[in-house]
Amino acid sequence: MDEFKKRYDGLVIGGGIAGMQAALDLAEQDYEVLLIEKDPSIGGVMVGLNKVFPTLDCSSCICTPRMAESVHHKNIKIQAYSEVTSIRPNDPGFKVTVRKKARYVIEDKCIGCSQCELACPVDVPHEFDHGLGARRAIYIPHGNAIPQVATLDVDHCTFCGRCAKVCPTQCVDYTQEPEDVEVDVGAVIIASGLLITPMDAKAEYGGGKLINVLNPLGMEAIQSSSGPYGRPLRPSDGKVPRKIAYVQCAGSRDHSIGVPYCSRVCCMYALKQALLLRHYIHGIDITIYHMDIRAFGKGYEQFYRRVMKEGVKVVKGKVAKITEVENQDLMLRVEMLDEGGRVDERRYDLVVLSQGLVPAWDGKGVVDIELGDDGFFKSVSPKISPVLTTQDGIFIAGVAAGPKDIPDAIVEAGAAAMEAAVHLERIGFRERALAASRG
Amino acid sequence: MNDTQENQAAAAQTAREKRPIDILRERHGGMSPEMKDYYKEQTRIRKLLGEALGKGTKTVPELARECGLEPQVTMWNLMAMRRYGKVVEEELRGDYYAYRLKEVK
Repeated sequence: MDEFKKRYDGLVIGGGIAGMQAALDLAEQDYEVLLIEKDPSIGGVMVGLNKVFPTLDCSSCICTPRMAESVHHKNIKIQAYSEVTSIRPNDPGFKVTVRKKARYVIEDKCIGCSQCELACPVDVPHEFDHGLGARRAIYIPHGNAIPQVATLDVDHCTFCGRCAKVCPTQCVDYTQEPEDVEVDVGAVIIASGLLITPMDAKAEYGGGKLINVLNPLGMEAIQSSSGPYGRPLRPSDGKVPRKIAYVQCAGSRDHSIGVPYCSRVCCMYALKQALLLRHYIHGIDITIYHMDIRAFGKGYEQFYRRVMKEGVKVVKGKVAKITEVENQDLMLRVEMLDEGGRVDERRYDLVVLSQGLVPAWDGKGVVDIELGDDGFFKSVSPKISPVLTTQDGIFIAGVAAGPKDIPDAIVEAGAAAMEAAVHLERIGFRERALAASRG
Repeated sequence: MNDTQENQAAAAQTAREKRPIDILRERHGGMSPEMKDYYKEQTRIRKLLGEALGKGTKTVPELARECGLEPQVTMWNLMAMRRYGKVVEEELRGDYYAYRLKEVK
């Protein structure tokens, strides 16, 4: 599906794993789906992970087939680097405005050869590597990007014009402007995904200030052999880390930072990363400081026991403060909860804050559905039909509805697709929309 | 108008038409002062690193000392050079990998 039609049965907001699953499940039932993604590529957070728990599958190896299936499906139109700016009830269904951002590259002509990127003279921090690595002002986000086309970040452009000069298909178009498109849709599935709790939420941990205090997605990037360093190294000086601490609940279960809930995945991703580091770096000393370990899912408890058996120290302790000492090492002041609350100070090469999950989008000014007290979209029937929202015809899936792991996000996406399909049949969307267009 | 005058008129018209990159530059207001400083500094750092590596393989701390740069600035720039094929990793020296310039064939 190459052309942008005027009407789709379903709109999916978000091209991460939940959004792609919802789009595929609708498309397989012969509904036409428009999938909108704000980033230059679909794939969401999952395509940037190293491995997943508890199976230790390569994350992009299991995510990219879904990405390929989505882009090649005859019933799915993917519009990346775009945002939904308005969803208005329009019986039947909704009138939706989509803003296509300017890539300054003609997508249909770009062959993803990266010649523009190689010719560009300036490097800037790469969002995909969480600032630890570099990209050029004109760039393809990563090797698995779909669409595999370049995007020009005009805020960091030097206006040298080299990218257009070297492009073999003359697809660099400096005259592009953002474009607004209106479409009619029957049902909407919001799968807008997650952000991690801001690193500077707790000033005493030094996140966002101390370079060797990492965010967990940054640690995913440096663990990957295709990451910014090619191997796990310290960002401050390239040292091979020999001693690493994980601080659990750094961005969750804390009223003082506005994230009172448990984010469900932090214990598991910390255990996963710690185990992989033990495999990558011989003899590395890793300690996970926690309040309690939550390993609730299928195979999770077994994985937790395996991680401890393979030499990762899992210690009940509350980290009070992290300070930088000489050589940009880090000193942790920790209250040892299993030792009567004894306060200890311990030195590490690197610290990873196990930050929680917060919603990436609140829909304000775009869609008229309520948020819950936790800031995620409100589910009106959280026990029986968790994908239903306060607006008929709009459904939620994945972390947009609340923190969850990948299997739960995929299952919920399927549920949202089914509810959307039932809704489309109930309102007779296709027949009524066709009649309205003829009238 | 004869042929020469027509050619001259066409050349004048082309000179007056703006190139697409000029249109984008004008529309965006050109490079911001911060971006200009950033680019200038990056060019300076890359020159220093290139010259230091040209004298032999070095670790990040060695490069930082020789070039008078902060180690974390050295690390980020060196890894950017590595990503785009200018630098390759060599042997491990203690806790630090050494890097060298990649030969251009």
